[in-house]
Amino acid sequence: MIDDETLDRQLRDAAPYIDDDGFTARVMARLPAARREPRWLRAMILLGLAILGSGIAYSLSGGFVREGVIQLSNFPIWLLLVFAFGCGLVVGAFAIIFALRKTPEVRDLARLRF
Amino acid sequence: MELTDADLIARVLANDDQHAFGELVRRHQSSVRGLLRQLTRTDVSLADDLAQEAFLRAYKNIRSFRGEARFSTWLYRIAYNCFRENARKRKELVGVDEELLQAEHDPQTVDPGLRHDLMHALNLLPLHERTAVVLCCQNGLSHDEAARVLDIPLGTVKTNVLRGREKLKRTLAAWGPN
Repeated sequence: MIDDETLDRQLRDAAPYIDDDGFTARVMARLPAARREPRWLRAMILLGLAILGSGIAYSLSGGFVREGVIQLSNFPIWLLLVFAFGCGLVVGAFAIIFALRKTPEVRDLARLRF
Repeated sequence: MELTDADLIARVLANDDQHAFGELVRRHQSSVRGLLRQLTRTDVSLADDLAQEAFLRAYKNIRSFRGEARFSTWLYRIAYNCFRENARKRKELVGVDEELLQAEHDPQTVDPGLRHDLMHALNLLPLHERTAVVLCCQNGLSHDEAARVLDIPLGTVKTNVLRGREKLKRTLAAWGPN
């Protein structure tokens, strides 16, 4: 009687590679249309919404933001620079984290085994 | 350097890259179509229709692929579900095996070799045993992976593989060493 190993080998041999023969093209033709939303449009929408949100927040703050800005102008310039630099670091760190999460090539690098 | 399945899936997810998905289809079409041809008992036309449906579903639901199993295992599961749904519609899932045991076979497929006898014997197995044998013995899935594809307990898969193998061996006894 045939043993397990021979049987499995025969089964694998009995299943030859099936040529594509236009199959992939037929599948591709049936795929729903890909998203064609331009990236710059998305960026502009985000920027526009950010400006709009800031404007609304400013107008609803009742002068609070304006007074804060006036008080900031009394601070020494080096302190303002440090404050701006710190804000930039925080925002930049978040931007880099999100960029890494959305970039497959970089994400794959993180999975590399050395 | 050839991209891995994971690379291609990441491109589909990030950019809706249909070329990347096309490459996935090219890579896996043979095994998926082969599986469905076995399940449909070499009904090539139906098997290819089901394979197309399976790949379309895979594309639409690719975000639900979490990478816990191999992509091919996930595809087999979708393909098997397509087959089951189709079989239910055609009311062929229950009782079909007994009918086909008596069915005459296409004379064009007659071949005196072991391969023909093996495929003939495979087609005579009940659906649950044939599916388990095709997935585990022919496509190299582990019992655990096959259990996930078929959505049945691991023990059932092992039993089905064992019984299927024994039946195939009995049928092919004449080909064994004397």
